Amino acid sequence: MIDQRHDTLDHTPRCGDGRAPDPLVPAGWLPMREYGEDEVDFVIVGTGAGGAPLAAKLAEQGFSVIAMDAGAFFRPLEDFASDEMHQRKLYWTDDRLVDGDNPLQLGANNSGKAVGGSTIHFAMVSLRFRPEHFASRSKLGYGVDWPIDWREMWRYYEEVERMLHISGPVRYPWGPKRPRYPLRVHPMNAGAQYLARGAKALGIDWTETPIATLSTPIGKAHPCVYRGFCVTGCSTNAKQSALVTWIPRAIRAGAEIRDLAMVGRIETDASGRATGVHYHRADAWHFQKARHVVAAGYAIETPRLLLNSANAAQPDGLANSSGLVGRNLMVQLNQAAWGEVDKEVRAYKGPPSLAISEHWNYTDAGKDYLGGWTYMSQGPLPAQWARTLARTRGLWGQALVDEMNRANHTVGLKMVGEVLPNEANRVTLADETDQYGLRIPRVTFSYSDNEKRMMRHAVAFMKQSLEATGARDTWDQMDDTCHLGGTARMGRNAATSVVDADGRSWDVPNLWVCDGSVFPTVGGVNPSLTIQALACRTADRIGALARRGEL
Amino acid sequence: MSTGTALARGIARLNDVARAPRGAERAASRLLSAGASVVASSVLVDSAMEHYRGSFRDPAMVLPIALSAGSLLLNGRETLAPAGPSTLARMVHVTAGAVGSAGLAFHAWNVGKQAGGFRLVNLFYRAPLGAPATLLLTGLIGTMAERLADPAAPRFAAFLRAPRVVGTVAAMGLAGTVAEAGLLHFRGAYHDPAMWLPVSLPPLATLSLLRDVLTLAPRRMTYGLLGATAAMGVIGMAFHAYGVARNMGGWRNWRQNLLAGPPLPAPPSFSGLAVAGIAALRLLKDMRRG
Repeated sequence: MIDQRHDTLDHTPRCGDGRAPDPLVPAGWLPMREYGEDEVDFVIVGTGAGGAPLAAKLAEQGFSVIAMDAGAFFRPLEDFASDEMHQRKLYWTDDRLVDGDNPLQLGANNSGKAVGGSTIHFAMVSLRFRPEHFASRSKLGYGVDWPIDWREMWRYYEEVERMLHISGPVRYPWGPKRPRYPLRVHPMNAGAQYLARGAKALGIDWTETPIATLSTPIGKAHPCVYRGFCVTGCSTNAKQSALVTWIPRAIRAGAEIRDLAMVGRIETDASGRATGVHYHRADAWHFQKARHVVAAGYAIETPRLLLNSANAAQPDGLANSSGLVGRNLMVQLNQAAWGEVDKEVRAYKGPPSLAISEHWNYTDAGKDYLGGWTYMSQGPLPAQWARTLARTRGLWGQALVDEMNRANHTVGLKMVGEVLPNEANRVTLADETDQYGLRIPRVTFSYSDNEKRMMRHAVAFMKQSLEATGARDTWDQMDDTCHLGGTARMGRNAATSVVDADGRSWDVPNLWVCDGSVFPTVGGVNPSLTIQALACRTADRIGALARRGEL
Repeated sequence: MSTGTALARGIARLNDVARAPRGAERAASRLLSAGASVVASSVLVDSAMEHYRGSFRDPAMVLPIALSAGSLLLNGRETLAPAGPSTLARMVHVTAGAVGSAGLAFHAWNVGKQAGGFRLVNLFYRAPLGAPATLLLTGLIGTMAERLADPAAPRFAAFLRAPRVVGTVAAMGLAGTVAEAGLLHFRGAYHDPAMWLPVSLPPLATLSLLRDVLTLAPRRMTYGLLGATAAMGVIGMAFHAYGVARNMGGWRNWRQNLLAGPPLPAPPSFSGLAVAGIAALRLLKDMRRG
């Protein structure tokens, strides 16, 4: 039955007739303003961590806004099942080519196809960059500086933390003083306790992870029930995804959401300005006129859209005079160490990463590589765990069954590590086309020696932490990456970046990028909070520019 | 406040009617029994629910249930139909106090041995320190009631009859309960403005009571504040019932949400302790007269 409904949802838009689903109420609806195909102030392509806050904050300033997403508009309370396989409907699994020395695994860890984007199935870890990581070139001697000062970013972090009711520790052990998190910490599951004990044994700080799931009821959203299905889509709405936070706010402010609307091309006029987008919805192509176009499709779909929008005047892709569209693709290292303990751990209970150490983000000494990393406790769900064992350790048959029988005693730590920008890592267009007839992206990625050194250090350190807590039979998982960034870098000049600090294209003044692609560097923390903070900043900057008549 | 005063007066008057030879002490004894009954009910339901959640992993986890049930029966009887002091009652009250103290030590040990020790996350979610302390209070208040009901000025723990001691125990009990509510409402980030009530009204009542104890002069304001605190304990249950409803599945999912939501039996502890405070005022008033 669920599959049948899923099929229907996959092909029939829910937004329309003056209403959009209310994600917080079963079968509920929100009244929604609609603009038809009239020219709007902004059309935003993508409704994830970048597009959703931007849509809400632009609509609140009185702009007419349409935000489109290729994915469906779900109501988690009724559309999400406690089934890892079924919930794969949340990932972007359209055809793509991957190559390079270390081809990326695309899907769960780095994509989302739904209104709300990948925030619907993210692990909710909501961290601020270390201040120096906004200026790694001048402060730490690697990468490239952001065109934004960290203090400004920290103000926007605070705005997002409040909006998402982040639950976090009263005192955060690293970095400059920050305001108290809006909600208190969640109880730590056993996996988190192993991180804490290990960190204590190794003499470094740890803390409860700041996390975007409610520890108290807020509005119509229930507090977390520690069900543990976070990364396959929270069905209780405790998770503060863009779907249940920014999207309803955007709709209430007068934005229109178009679900199941795949944007294929940005149209430009003779003067080189964007005039709107061609999009595919309900089995037909349409054109939406807009005074401004914002690409917010994340670090693969955004450059793909810009490259697919090449025209006679800009044959190498829109906004690509620097040649940097698609280049400097960054991921984050997601290597892990695992071990077995006598006690029952059942690490999949509760949010997967309830304890964290940012020690190696804030400590530069003792490293034979550049960049920072953090590590967190882990709680893989059973199917994912079986896949990990089969893929990483080559276990199959009885060996896999035996190892799965030990799953409740498995404890693990996983890193989120900084990958440095490298022009050779990039998104280009393949010759093949997808179901919409659009050229599919080719994603090329290879580790540099720096990354290899970082992962060696991290895995050894995490293993040491596990062993300090009595774990035995420890082993490394070396093949995982997470998150994306960097394919439409922001910067201070048109030659070395695609957009300016506001996300505005140097080449096409009414084209903007608002997602993780603008990151000049990715730092050593999960990016969702930073993407949302940047989106809030972009919205404020657009308002300021409009007031000065500079739009 | 005026409702509180009326309520407090009503509670005090009930006892005036049934005044025995040593009027004030009998009246205070009965009030203390009433207070202890309420606190014991709170401990009974709370420890039963929480230790059920803890799967009675340690056999000692049945002790607070047994002792609060015994305390409830004995104090209840003393409230409704005073039978005077008894060895059984004395034993139950003293044992309740002892188990409460041991429980406090055990809960503290449980918190301390967690990763991170006495950091907030463990104070929030591990064995609560306030709960066994409430059983200790049940035993103390029950003992005080039993001492006051005994006209023969006994040897055993005679100091527990002293008005100042009764008042101080009630005040300390209220202060401890405020601390527990403060900690757990902080855990809930005071997301509902009503959550500020138990950390603002009872502290005023406690301070007012302490001042009366020091000056030996019960004041109307203290009656009012204690009465209001007693009423707040009952209203608090309604707020907590609403809190349960805000969890996933609401009351339809009561089997999970009674455990996951705010504890229903917690707020009435305030009522029981406030009644014990009123008993102290009654003794102070009599002392002033005598």
